[in-house]
Amino acid sequence: MKEEGKERLRSRSLAHLMPLIAPVHILILSVIVIPSIYVIWLSVTQSSFGKAPSFVGLENYIRVLTDPAFHRALWNTVGIVVVAVHLELAIGLLLALLFASGLPLRRYLLVAVLAPYAVSEVTAVVMWRFLFDPDAGPITQMLQSLHLPILDWSYEPTHAMILIAMLTIWLHLPFTFIILYAARLAIPLDLYEAARIDGATPLQAFRRVTLPLLGPAIVVALLFRYIFAFRIFSEVWLLTNGGPARTTEVVAVYLYQEAFSYNAFGTAAATAWIMVVVSLLLAVGYILLLGKQVNANAH
Amino acid sequence: MKDRSAFTFTRRGFLGTTVGGAAALAAGPTWAAGKTLNVLSHKVHQTVLGADADDLMAAWKSANDADISFTTFDSNPLQDRLFREASLTETDYGVGYIIDNRPTSEIASLFEPLNDLTVSDPIEDFDDIAHGLVQGMTVDGNLIGIPVRHATQGLFYNEALLEEAGISAPPTTLEELVEQCNKLTFTSKSGTPVTGMILASDLALFPVMFARAFGGDFITKDFQLVPDPAAMEKGLDVLRAMFESGALPRSYATTKNDDQVTWLQQGRAAFTVLPFARYAQLNNPEQSNFPGKIKAIAFPGSATLAADKPMASIVEAWAMVIPKNAKDKALAWAYIKEVSSKRVTLGMALNGNGPVRVSSYSDPALISKNPLAEVEAMVLANARGAFPPFPEAARAQATMLEEVQLAVIGRKSVKDAVASIIERVTPMMPA
Repeated sequence: MKEEGKERLRSRSLAHLMPLIAPVHILILSVIVIPSIYVIWLSVTQSSFGKAPSFVGLENYIRVLTDPAFHRALWNTVGIVVVAVHLELAIGLLLALLFASGLPLRRYLLVAVLAPYAVSEVTAVVMWRFLFDPDAGPITQMLQSLHLPILDWSYEPTHAMILIAMLTIWLHLPFTFIILYAARLAIPLDLYEAARIDGATPLQAFRRVTLPLLGPAIVVALLFRYIFAFRIFSEVWLLTNGGPARTTEVVAVYLYQEAFSYNAFGTAAATAWIMVVVSLLLAVGYILLLGKQVNANAH
Repeated sequence: MKDRSAFTFTRRGFLGTTVGGAAALAAGPTWAAGKTLNVLSHKVHQTVLGADADDLMAAWKSANDADISFTTFDSNPLQDRLFREASLTETDYGVGYIIDNRPTSEIASLFEPLNDLTVSDPIEDFDDIAHGLVQGMTVDGNLIGIPVRHATQGLFYNEALLEEAGISAPPTTLEELVEQCNKLTFTSKSGTPVTGMILASDLALFPVMFARAFGGDFITKDFQLVPDPAAMEKGLDVLRAMFESGALPRSYATTKNDDQVTWLQQGRAAFTVLPFARYAQLNNPEQSNFPGKIKAIAFPGSATLAADKPMASIVEAWAMVIPKNAKDKALAWAYIKEVSSKRVTLGMALNGNGPVRVSSYSDPALISKNPLAEVEAMVLANARGAFPPFPEAARAQATMLEEVQLAVIGRKSVKDAVASIIERVTPMMPA
């Protein structure tokens, strides 16, 4: 009976089968392919409100790539991505190992670690802005009372970048943590038992058992976080607005300004495509590593 | 054995539900008014029209069997959405609110010219509406918007803090203002650290006001860029000196417009520059620690400013426009006529709106409710926009602000910053 069904399916022409998968194609076409093509077209035209688009070739790309403000925004973004994502991974890994080793009140602590993911970005930024207010923030006042240096983020660009990195790590740590924690729990306990019998120290067990088996999860977490972190916007926009004097601007803020403050849709679209290419370049190493792991598992 | 699930959803059923649902939605709710006018505005434009028993538009709604549905945004997102809606083939929005420094020729082409309507179906005593504001909404000979609100900037001060510091009267010159700001950078009796002045760093109007205090400007109405660089340098020198002395807070570079209101209400700052219409909010007992103690005067010019050249404050005006692609332009015009009437203009003024009609300022009700009406009318007489509209105006403003921030917080010399403003903004100027 089953064989007959399969045979009938095979004998159907592609035209008959197409409607079955058409909804997926329509969805991908309408939400990814067509908008992407539209943005490519926008990026080679000059247009604004009330002004018909005119073809300008690669002029928008040249304009963006030669703009010193874009260079600064790009370096700020790369800096935040590299520092924040790797620090977040290290903290996430530490927490995952700590939780897996058995903590008292684990359920409550788990809720505490995951809570930032339930907080909206806008609320989180407003909260942090209040806590670190350079004049009246509770954390600033506490640091001052302890005669410790404060984060002078409204004046010093480096301090502002540190605060942005801390905020983005706090906001996204649950994502990295939960991936690594789930992967760590999936490692069979008998492997650790075997390692212990073979005389492995805890550090050796971590290096020879935990780390290799967490490898795929680490790569997935890094890959996603690289791509997400490259789009960082609300933390910067709501905290510093890119200031003082555009020194903390990131690429997404640059794009927003071009599109929604200056209504320069051509340069905004070109910036968007440059963002895609740069984030792919940043993540390419991890993509190759992921590909190798997938192939290795397949064999 | 039945091989069908208890819950079956057939193709016929699915199509029937879809068509039925669409028809029900298309028919629309039967309990609403006959017509709905969709309006794109700032929240303040809706608030000043009142609500419920105090709804200034209640009679109009009843006479036109229409309801008004507001969609509100902050200023910049509002302008973006309005222009986006007006760029579509058709829009559901009949009326939008536009700021006077936005309508370039391209933007103006998205909106209905109103010249003919003001003749065929005139607004009550149209000549009573300030001519300068009407001119600001006339682009390439077409009147595209009817002025509805102006926000004229004044100097607000906390009288209680001035008294505490032994200052008997607010400043009459910019030099006195700086001196008082320095004196008022102290810790008040209540233990609150007070800063002399609070200004947002992301709005061009503040550096422009300081430049104008010395007779300078950013971009004039006839598109002269920094016509007097020395005056601009003097204005920025004052801001920089205030920052260095602590009379401007260290968080100056990230201070926003809302911070100005809260700092003044909480007694954390002694002076600020805000529209006169903020008077009620600043003295609201539910929000302010100093109700009745926050007062306003005209922003003073420098003592060096020539007597025949009065200090020109900054005024920002809003107007109502009808997108060319709007569905029901007749209803939109009826709304604009009503909102522009003498009765509604005065009603909105009593609710805190900057009235665009000259006659409103002489109304006894407004004079008794708004103690700033007289000074506001006087300031308005010499006030003008921060800069005129042109395609790259937003980019020019951002460039100027970047250089001003660098100069004020001491990362660049004032002279270099002014030179950079001229160098960087020149290519953005209209040909």
